[in-house]
Amino acid sequence: MAEIHKIIASVKDALGVGARSNSRAAAASATVPVAQSAHRAALASTFARELEAVGGKFLGILTPDEVTNRIVTLAGEIGAKTVALGQGVMSDMDAIGEALERADFRIVRTIPVADTERAAMRERVASADLGIAEADFAIASTGTLAVVSNGDRPSSLTLLPPASLVIVQIDRVMANLAAVLAELGPDGVAANRLTLITGPSRTADIEKRIVLGVHGPKSIHAIVVWPRDD
Amino acid sequence: MAEFPKARDFFESSRAAVGDHELRRKLESASARHLDHFAEVKAEFPSYDDEREAAHRIKTGAIAHLDELLIELTSKLEARGCKVFFAEDAADARDYIVELAKAKGAKKVVKGKSMTTEEIELNGALERAGIDAVETDLGEYIVQLRGERPSHIITPAIHLSKEDIGRLFADKFGIEYTAEPEKLTAEARSRLRAIFLNADFGVTGVNFAIAETGTLVIVENEGNGRLSSTMPETFVAVMGIEKVIARLEDLSHFLEILARTATGQKLTTYTSFITGPRREGDLDGPREMHVVILDNGRSSMIADPVLREALNCIRCGACLNVCPIYRRIGGHAYRSVYPGPIGSIISPNLFGSAARYLPFASTLCGACKDICPVKIDIPRILLHLRWKESAGEHPLKWPRAIERARRGARQFAKIARHPRTVRALGKFAAMVLKPFAHNGYIRRMPGPFGNWTKYRDFPRPRPHQRPAPGPERPPG
Repeated sequence: MAEIHKIIASVKDALGVGARSNSRAAAASATVPVAQSAHRAALASTFARELEAVGGKFLGILTPDEVTNRIVTLAGEIGAKTVALGQGVMSDMDAIGEALERADFRIVRTIPVADTERAAMRERVASADLGIAEADFAIASTGTLAVVSNGDRPSSLTLLPPASLVIVQIDRVMANLAAVLAELGPDGVAANRLTLITGPSRTADIEKRIVLGVHGPKSIHAIVVWPRDD
Repeated sequence: MAEFPKARDFFESSRAAVGDHELRRKLESASARHLDHFAEVKAEFPSYDDEREAAHRIKTGAIAHLDELLIELTSKLEARGCKVFFAEDAADARDYIVELAKAKGAKKVVKGKSMTTEEIELNGALERAGIDAVETDLGEYIVQLRGERPSHIITPAIHLSKEDIGRLFADKFGIEYTAEPEKLTAEARSRLRAIFLNADFGVTGVNFAIAETGTLVIVENEGNGRLSSTMPETFVAVMGIEKVIARLEDLSHFLEILARTATGQKLTTYTSFITGPRREGDLDGPREMHVVILDNGRSSMIADPVLREALNCIRCGACLNVCPIYRRIGGHAYRSVYPGPIGSIISPNLFGSAARYLPFASTLCGACKDICPVKIDIPRILLHLRWKESAGEHPLKWPRAIERARRGARQFAKIARHPRTVRALGKFAAMVLKPFAHNGYIRRMPGPFGNWTKYRDFPRPRPHQRPAPGPERPPG
């Protein structure tokens, strides 16, 4: 490929010899101090406040059993008929799915698909009224959910249905973005698609007025899971 | 590359824009709302200035090692299964994408918001090849329906009122007229969702490319960037060579300040980290992922040690919102896809000599420099470009005017050394100019001074009055 060498050469030329005063190491970023000792509950409550500030709804810090019940209640509250969900990170999503089925909700379970089944599976996820996913991390300072997706838990779950519910374990609520990126590390980020979600889909394209639910979910609900033995 | 308009066109379009009171009202209200949001988030982000400093340092370091970083990025992207194409200019990039779309048999291309694809005029090229290019960012969708180009980097339809958009939708879609932003947005959502679910070719821009991992980072609020990069089988990301940063850990500095300055958010709604095409079993993501890395004049900016700093830009659009020129003439008058202060310093290098007049369209007030999240000294670069135009390699065609101005300045310097002469001349000028003044300002100066008042008003000299302390109100 001739082009790459040409452009790299012109960049090199432009930089010139001796222009490189500081080494690569010196150009490295200053590290942001990470709150080490902040209490989990305090972080969770900061997360809750920030999530609400961006238009999300915080449903509480709940035990796994309470989580299942709360999800069934939520599905009823928003008038959902079909709920899509995949595998969790730490939580038992199968149990949640079964509870929803017992309450007469139709369930779309995402599983790894062959190329030929993609379109059909996606239609099913898109037709669900509520998508449920578990985040790998949450960011307290911004009210953000960090969701890694793969075949078992596709990105579509938090994108296509008009309402979204995301759960996250309390020990995975981090103080800030830098802490989450450090926790995932370069390999963690590169392994699969990672999406940071901060509130419902929104736009301010018409007279800078905020409207929710453009292409993604109009509402996003979050639950922080506090395991019993903790 | 389409013919870039001449300076005369700019004078005409900006004069027309200044006279458009409705446009001014829309720009002022949008800018004011934006600055309110920004002030709020800035107030609760005490380390804002430190973060700007860090961001400036990281970007400057990245540009200083751009050749190495591009090689590292390319090898990581390829290792992740991406196809990388380096485009020397806009035509290279356009041709590559159009040929690829043709080869894939694409009938429709869904586009996430991307200024770089505006820069290379991709939509026109696709249309000429018989391929439908659909803009999916709400603002871009609106301006595309009107057959216009975006007038702001972040808010493409900033020049339109909700009533304008309501009429547009009623017209184009045959729906009942409404000016409610919620209803208009819902209409666009349902129309675009149908297109997304059947899209086979997607194109987006890139906000950051992380060299150490080969990850592309895309920042957005609506979800169309996620859809454009996950639904289609073929996905093309288009980025300028300056988007690369060395490490993942550099990123957090940028994401938080970008959101704050661009839209007044702490973080944008969606930040996607995309590393290669979809893995086996994945529901989402393309089968094939291409990354087009565009030079188009950027490497020539690196060669200029002053201008190089302009490549630090992360396209937040904040300098547009604070610029007294932008706020009066709007984005279209600049005749460049990159309007406002940042546009005035990069357009001449991306679009060639015809955009050389843009650095002169500034009052050098410095508001852009003060708000810039990566601390680009835009006024300094504007002056540098002006200097290059008047004394540099390609001087403008008025060397005599410049020589005259220099002589005039030397004369003035001589006179200014004698306060009594200055006072006498001031008194004389005040007397002579009195009949020309109106409400304290002279709108048209007599004789050879007429050029000065062509674009500004001259305050009437008042010799009996000592200069008041503190700033005076500038002429409106």
